[in-house]
Amino acid sequence: MQSGEKVRTSRNLWKTMLQHKYFYLMVLPVLIWYALFAYGPMYGVTLAFKTFDYSGGIWGSPWIGFEHFQKLWSDADFHTAFKNTIIISLMKLLINFPMPIILAILINEFSRKTAKRFFQTVLTFPHFISWVVLAGIITIILSRDGVVNQVLMVFGFDPISPLTDSDSFRPLLYFTHMWREVGWDSIIYLAALAGINPELYEAAEMDGANRFKRLLHIAWPGMKSTVAILLILHVGQMLTQGASFVQIFNLYSSPVYGVADVVDTYIYRTSFQVGGDFGYMTAVGLIKSVISLVLLVVANTIVKRMGEEGLY
Amino acid sequence: MKRIQKFGVILACMTLFIGLLAACSGNNGNEKPSESESPSAGGEENPYSEPMEVSVSFWDVEAEMAKLKDDPIVQEILQKFNITIKPVNTTWDDYGQKIQMWAASGQLPDVFAIDAIGTQYQRKWVEQGVVAPLPDLAKYPNLAQYFEAPDIAGLAVDGKHYTIPRRMFPSVDWSALDRTVYYRWDLAQAAGITKEPETWDEFKAMLDAIVKADPEGKQITGLTAAQVKMLGGLFWLYGNPVATSDGSGADFKWIKEDGKFIPAVFSKNALPALQNMKEMYDNNLIDPDIALTSPDIAYDKFASGKAAAMLSGGGFVNLDLNINTKRWAASYPDKDISETVKVLKPLTGPDGERHHAIFKTYWSESYFSGKIDPKKLDRILALYDYVLSPEGKDLLTYGKEGVDYKVEGDKKVLLSDTPHVEKYPLTGFLRDLVAYETADRYDMNNPAIANEGIRQQAVDYMDWILENTKVPEYDIRLTYLSTPTKDSFTIFDHDDLLNVMLSNDPVEKTWQKIVDGYKSKGLDKMIEEVNAAAAEQGIE
Repeated sequence: MQSGEKVRTSRNLWKTMLQHKYFYLMVLPVLIWYALFAYGPMYGVTLAFKTFDYSGGIWGSPWIGFEHFQKLWSDADFHTAFKNTIIISLMKLLINFPMPIILAILINEFSRKTAKRFFQTVLTFPHFISWVVLAGIITIILSRDGVVNQVLMVFGFDPISPLTDSDSFRPLLYFTHMWREVGWDSIIYLAALAGINPELYEAAEMDGANRFKRLLHIAWPGMKSTVAILLILHVGQMLTQGASFVQIFNLYSSPVYGVADVVDTYIYRTSFQVGGDFGYMTAVGLIKSVISLVLLVVANTIVKRMGEEGLY
Repeated sequence: MKRIQKFGVILACMTLFIGLLAACSGNNGNEKPSESESPSAGGEENPYSEPMEVSVSFWDVEAEMAKLKDDPIVQEILQKFNITIKPVNTTWDDYGQKIQMWAASGQLPDVFAIDAIGTQYQRKWVEQGVVAPLPDLAKYPNLAQYFEAPDIAGLAVDGKHYTIPRRMFPSVDWSALDRTVYYRWDLAQAAGITKEPETWDEFKAMLDAIVKADPEGKQITGLTAAQVKMLGGLFWLYGNPVATSDGSGADFKWIKEDGKFIPAVFSKNALPALQNMKEMYDNNLIDPDIALTSPDIAYDKFASGKAAAMLSGGGFVNLDLNINTKRWAASYPDKDISETVKVLKPLTGPDGERHHAIFKTYWSESYFSGKIDPKKLDRILALYDYVLSPEGKDLLTYGKEGVDYKVEGDKKVLLSDTPHVEKYPLTGFLRDLVAYETADRYDMNNPAIANEGIRQQAVDYMDWILENTKVPEYDIRLTYLSTPTKDSFTIFDHDDLLNVMLSNDPVEKTWQKIVDGYKSKGLDKMIEEVNAAAAEQGIE
């Protein structure tokens, strides 16, 4: 009985695919892209269980089992990098995830279109400046004769060096990330808000709902599912994009390695400056990927239990 | 009709995707040498009759090779050896990463430049056939002679050489030029200093006077540096000069203390040097932004009067090129740099000795891909041999006799005022590809340092160094020694210095924490292994 159902289901699927063949054909390039550039290179993770041999390459390198992983547990630098990755990612998620939502709601409250456009453009613009350029600007602004210290000194305060100070480096990461991304990240929420039927607002207004009530009972339910999906995606990517290599690499220096060295910067420094084994570095990367996957699954489950649609 | 439209859309999507794929793929057409393009240079007797395309990876080689059309001398040399150079570009920011990636993916160019001696990956390259061993050098007399220098000869692995280091100096005494401090003598005088500093106290007093007086009203800072990794090259000179390293993390030198060999960085003399540095930082004698410095920022600061002194590599050549030629006139058009800027002579340390930084006689090396055809390697070595020959050196340095210079006694007199680099813009690259031979530029006959005032200062400085300073004792064989722990052990002392400098804790506490960190990575084990190996090899 069950096998009969299966056959029917697969026949139905085939039928549906045939019916929508042009859509599937349009998706094909994307699938090929993923196969070639995302799944194909995954054979490289086998290096985590090998010691890299230049003459043998990835396939020909000898297997060493879990040796790299055993070494990882006693590597103090890896522990520091891992701890920093978790702290920075989590803090960025806590601080930077709600900000675009709040911003989108605020922008949505503007009744004049020109004001909406103005703020959207101004706040989105920093996203298009690369971290390399931005890091140069931040370094100049925060240098001893930069504008921040000049202003502080005019008012009789001591100069500050947040780029080389362990206490202020992480907050600087959160702040600069927010400044660069908050406008860009709010676009998708603005789109969700724009999709809400204006008649609902009008009806609520006629029923005597104030701005806060309209926000609570119309805007928020309208954008909740988008927030849920983006939360899952953010959690899944938080170890990669939260502890962003390009941001940290361009801003940090050895005095703040203790609080700023994350897994990606650790891999980079150990691979290319110290010259560590590629296998060992792959093991470090693999641990990060596995944790990201677990986080994604957990976030998806929680969101689904809360009654929202998950990713799968 | 709708179907046709659908097909159109899909076709457009597919075409775009395939186009993107094609754009992402490498240009395989460049991989094979175009032998038919280059005509034979001579008859059967010509050993170089077969044209060769040689792929070369060197810093900014693409921009350099674009100058080939304007350089008749390099054209002539390449024609003589029937070689076409295919540039494979690296930059100062990415060369390490690129070359390691090429090595891992089997895509190394025929010749590549990197400073990899002593690193873990360089040892693997040699063991696993990534780089080719050099053949018997009897056929290349100038190259064979080049390998007679003790620290170059010491690079052999099981009797074979795998690299040609780029020689800079004839002996380590010349390392003094690799970490020089330029300082503003005019500002020191304006701040009331009358004597050039010779001790650390005098140097500190001079910086203090300039910073406090701020003669030009530019909120001047004290000492800045071109790169963080240069810090040890100055601050270890306060009683612990053997600890100076090139920043690679792998070239640390060893000294004997309490009957045991230890890396000099961990000597008892380290602490006073660190305290001296920390005191300078706390007293505003060091640029507060030094942790974030870069060459261009530091050159700009110094040349525009925002830093009283600057720690730099490249000695007087750099002073001439990066400060004088590129920047000085914009800030001080009426000031003669050779009267205004001085180079600090090694200061008398707490032990009463004058020390300078100690490095190797070379910096960076040429390697040859393990896949290279022996015939091609032979041709490349012939070119290297020629560049190192007296004829090749004269041609690349002075140009052609009778055209660019004439010989008067033991001097070469230039026949025109046009700088050599303008007439022959690629000769510098070809010389540097083989060997820097920096010492040759410290000669009043050599036009490499364009400003004659700076050139004279450079020559006088080196004479003074050779007469007044002494290189302390250490055994370079211990640096090259291979033991299981040492092979993967790195000491980035510049990072440690920076941490001590910027820490809010007392120097002793910060330093102990750093030493403990190294111990957790196997410092004690490495010391044991090295001492055992040294005893085995009879090194005392």
